[in-house]
Amino acid sequence: MTDLEHRYPARETEPYGPPSGSLADLLERVLDKGIVIAGDIKIDLLDIELLTIRLRLFIASVDTAKKAGIDWWETDPALSSRAARDALAEENARLRERLDALESAAEETTGAVR
Amino acid sequence: MSTTAAGPEAPGIVCAFAVSRTPPDPALLAAARGHEEGGPLRAVRAGGLYLVVQDVPAALFGEEALTERLNRPGDLERCARAHHRGVEAAAGRGPVVPLPMATLYRGDLTAVRAVTARQPVLETLLARLCDRTEWAVKVHAAEAPPESATDPGARTAPGGGGRAYLSRVSARRRDRRGAHEKALAEAEAVDAELRRYAVAATRHRPQSERLTGRRAPQLLNIAYLVDDARRADFTEALARIAADGGRRAVRVDASGPWIPYSFARWDEDPQAGPEQEVRP
Repeated sequence: MTDLEHRYPARETEPYGPPSGSLADLLERVLDKGIVIAGDIKIDLLDIELLTIRLRLFIASVDTAKKAGIDWWETDPALSSRAARDALAEENARLRERLDALESAAEETTGAVR
Repeated sequence: MSTTAAGPEAPGIVCAFAVSRTPPDPALLAAARGHEEGGPLRAVRAGGLYLVVQDVPAALFGEEALTERLNRPGDLERCARAHHRGVEAAAGRGPVVPLPMATLYRGDLTAVRAVTARQPVLETLLARLCDRTEWAVKVHAAEAPPESATDPGARTAPGGGGRAYLSRVSARRRDRRGAHEKALAEAEAVDAELRRYAVAATRHRPQSERLTGRRAPQLLNIAYLVDDARRADFTEALARIAADGGRRAVRVDASGPWIPYSFARWDEDPQAGPEQEVRP
């Protein structure tokens, strides 16, 4: 878990298969498509969407963190929960922004009436 | 081709990738990496078919260990990519039926038995997937511009007070519903157009906004099975759709060609007509 560029070869061209940036498409296919032949070992992949959401949040926060020069995922064992918190904080900030915009629009309207 | 079987008392686990009718290219198998923690990819004969497998350590691929690893995003991605590499390596010389990620056996013997027991179905599927690829198409509603900044009603509304506010709110709700219906109709039109060039189509459950990271909902998530002979027609249709200025309510994204994962299934009758699809 050290070489991020190597772990996310999104820009690499693959000989046969997905163009760059389609990790969600790949997961959708390898996780629950393909013919199911019962194996000897049962792995429960029931909540596939949950797995992929976690992955998405993780990638989003890696991108953000990389820009800020942060590399907590190398040492933090609870990286997925941290990723989820990051996404919440991000969403929180977005909602605040939106609220501010709405409030100022409302003030404008009230101002126009007076 | 390396067909060395793991000994019966070998403690490892055998990870299976795909089934083929033609013997896989040994050079491709040798060059492909599979799971980083495992041995080289091997082709195992299973009746008249071939199964591409890899020996992987039980400490990492046992039930508990693997479940735990798949819940870690980095490991999940590595496993998914490794599985896809194994399937690709198997596909070098002809059609393959891919198995889902984490199809694991205690040894070659049970793996081979699992394949030979289903040989007729697998052969039918291989015939169906021959010279065909899968294309993934996702149709999203176009993202609406932020309301507060662009809604002229907010500024030019003649009346203040509660009634004006309520009428603005209900107008906005009407607009939104209308936009959604328009987007749905456009999405269906995109699907109808693409189906003209496909052998089969199957609808997957649309991905949630949390997964796509978009604010606009995903309306359609479809896989198309396309004959190699019609691939150019299909991709031209995709390009036409993308360039179509008349479709403003949706955004269409596509990826491909894929090994036809979505069409390697038991639960559909491979003899059925081209229009079959699985609704969510």
